[in-house]
Amino acid sequence: MTKGTSFEAMGTTFELLLDVENGIDVSPSFNAVEREVRRLERILSRFDEGSELSRLNRAGTLEVGPELVEIVGRALAARTETDGRFDPTVHDALVAAGYDRPFAEIPADQPATGADSCACGGAVRVDVASGRVDLEPGVRLDLGAIAKGWTADRVLPILAAHGPALVNAGGDVAACGRTWPIRIEAAGDLTVAIECGGLATSGVDRRRWRTGGTERHHLIDPRTGTSAATDLLTVTAAAETAADAEVLATSLYLAGSIERAAAEADARSFPAVLVARDGDVVQAGGLR
Amino acid sequence: MTDHVLRLYALALAVLGFFVAWAAIAAEPWEPASGPDPDPLTAELDLYEQRLSRAARLAQLLAERRAERATASGVQARALAAAAPRIVTLPPLTVTRTS
Repeated sequence: MTKGTSFEAMGTTFELLLDVENGIDVSPSFNAVEREVRRLERILSRFDEGSELSRLNRAGTLEVGPELVEIVGRALAARTETDGRFDPTVHDALVAAGYDRPFAEIPADQPATGADSCACGGAVRVDVASGRVDLEPGVRLDLGAIAKGWTADRVLPILAAHGPALVNAGGDVAACGRTWPIRIEAAGDLTVAIECGGLATSGVDRRRWRTGGTERHHLIDPRTGTSAATDLLTVTAAAETAADAEVLATSLYLAGSIERAAAEADARSFPAVLVARDGDVVQAGGLR
Repeated sequence: MTDHVLRLYALALAVLGFFVAWAAIAAEPWEPASGPDPDPLTAELDLYEQRLSRAARLAQLLAERRAERATASGVQARALAAAAPRIVTLPPLTVTRTS
């Protein structure tokens, strides 16, 4: 039977599912996952002044633990893989857009802050051997676009040791061991199944607000340094891991339009479901 | 002069002759002296050879990159085969949404 639980962390809801025989107590595994997620949140949150990420952003250079080294390295690799569409150096652009505190505390309509865009793409160096991360002066990191998927991948093995398992980090899903049907919220009743891998959604149907009367959202286009303008509402992508799916979904969202995103997904065989702001739903990348 | 002194002189002359011969050979007098103006055709050929060498290195680099991409896409294909994403009509167990 499938047992489940959920808890709030990283500004979203984590849902855990585990297939086990009846009578097996799964609460120790669920508790272990929750402890690990909260530990990682204390490292990766930009809203926690004591987190390792916040200390790095303040200092510009810091010897950090293996978790931050790994996720920053993964985010930088994603920046290269996506030709700069996915970029962890969007911190100041997010703040300029008004996302300067936990999302729940952002008013739905707030006054303009002055600058409404900010340059992205500064240099970041990671020395894996020493654990040292160096930021170019003026560069600060935000890992919100990858942290939840990366965390889901990281804690999945804790559950998978006991049977087929799924971790849903607010929509970024890591799963293994069986067929897991997952509904895409923005696409009505459309349901995608994965066996062992990741599925993630990026979009602007959530985490959006108005600053100075202009709509802003959390998906920053690093090329303009401000909230991306496109006719897409959401992109859901499947990949080897939840973190990879999150990178892919964000990259396709920033393709510029639903036509370009669909063409790119088809050309590169990226299985994806694209939802336009007008409600159109497109399956791309060979997804059937 | 005694035989002993003569033998010493002969030995000294032989050693001197050896070093003189060594110096003469090391000077490579048979090599043509470098002229003040290189042949323009030779210089052009040298430049052409350098360009060919750079082009060959670039071609090798591109071939390596193509091989890396082919490997990466192979890995991606296998990974996606493992994920096996597909549209289903099964009742969903969870929901994906903007995270």
